[in-house]
Amino acid sequence: MGETRPLAVLLAYEEEAAIGRTVEELRRELPEAALLVVDDGSSDRTAAAARAAGARVARHPFNLGVAAAEATGLRYALRHGHPAVVRMDGDGQHDPKSARELLGAVERGAELAVGSRFLEREGFQSSAARRAGNALLARIVSSLCGQSVTDPTSGLRAFGGRAIPFFAERFPHDYPEPESLVWAHRAGLCVEEIPVQMRPRLAGRSSLTPWKSGYYMVKVTLALGLELARGRSRA
Amino acid sequence: MTRSSLLVLAFALAFAVAILASARRHRTEERHTLAWLLVCAAIAALAIWRPAIDLLARAMGIYYAPSALFFLSLAAVLWIVFRLSLDVARQKEQLRTLAQEVAILTVEREPAATFEHERESA
Ligand SMILES: Nc1nc2c(ncn2[C@@H]2O[C@H](COP(=O)(O)OP(=O)(O)OP(=O)(O)O)[C@@H](O)[C@H]2O)c(=O)[nH]1
Ligand SMILES: [Mg+2]
Repeated sequence: MGETRPLAVLLAYEEEAAIGRTVEELRRELPEAALLVVDDGSSDRTAAAARAAGARVARHPFNLGVAAAEATGLRYALRHGHPAVVRMDGDGQHDPKSARELLGAVERGAELAVGSRFLEREGFQSSAARRAGNALLARIVSSLCGQSVTDPTSGLRAFGGRAIPFFAERFPHDYPEPESLVWAHRAGLCVEEIPVQMRPRLAGRSSLTPWKSGYYMVKVTLALGLELARGRSRA
Repeated sequence: MTRSSLLVLAFALAFAVAILASARRHRTEERHTLAWLLVCAAIAALAIWRPAIDLLARAMGIYYAPSALFFLSLAAVLWIVFRLSLDVARQKEQLRTLAQEVAILTVEREPAATFEHERESA
């Protein structure tokens, strides 16, 4: 209570190799923010490494997925009165400076500020296949939102205002990013994209295999299709 | 009564006993108990009163009577499975909320040392 600092939420699953350095960097480069690591039921020493580096850790007793972990961070912020939340990856791919820019956008009135790798096409751009998938999703999400969205899968995003209680309460299943953008637009939240640069992961392994990415595309497209149907029935 | 009738009747009876035994130990919900008992009763009724199947098939416009039976039982089973999947989804949701709550509550119980540490650096 009485908390005025923004909250940085780091999502971590099996990140013992990278989480320590990520936490340390963030404490150094973003000292104005409180720090919460959400360990999503990792079987390795993620939680211990995060604590050793000086972070508070909320640990899910079992794996709940990225969407739920994000919501846990938001619930925590709500309970402690943090006025803004920035969600970041636990593998060090997100630059603290970008996080600060997103928090700045929230301070200026954005309720959901999304860091986009593709607004200025700089920094780590990920693989060609994933860029293609992203471009396709960007077109679908943009047309559903009626607003240009260039990086619908970006996990670097800041929440403020109504977006905090909104996404603390409800979240899409599994992979939340593209769907949550559509939800935010539908709810009339103020959504803004900010150009950011990302980096390759510090250490450890990506959780996304080619198979999973393929499944991801099909699943998210289906979810967005359902979103379209919902919009129609409401209109 | 034919041997097949007896067989089906015995099955319905055994099923009913199993349901009641589980209910007695509070392992089922009342509404499920009732639904399953109704299924048993329907099976038993068809075993005792065989012409019912033909009447049913004719009423449904199905020429081959056993098809009507297959159709009805399959529809019933599908319905039950669908309801179960809804239940599972709901429980998953509840379990997830519970796990989130546990995660948040345990942060608050951590030693204050980490918090002090963090404030110093801020
Ligand atoms: N809460 C939660 N976080 C996860 C899960 N799987 C991965 N993460 C975290 O989500 C972030 C992104 O996951 P990555 O595997 O790095 O995926 P990515 O950044 O899209 O892919 P790369 O560019 O290959 O690193 C990391 O901080 C992971 O620790 C999970 O099941 N639950
Ligand atoms: Mg990563």
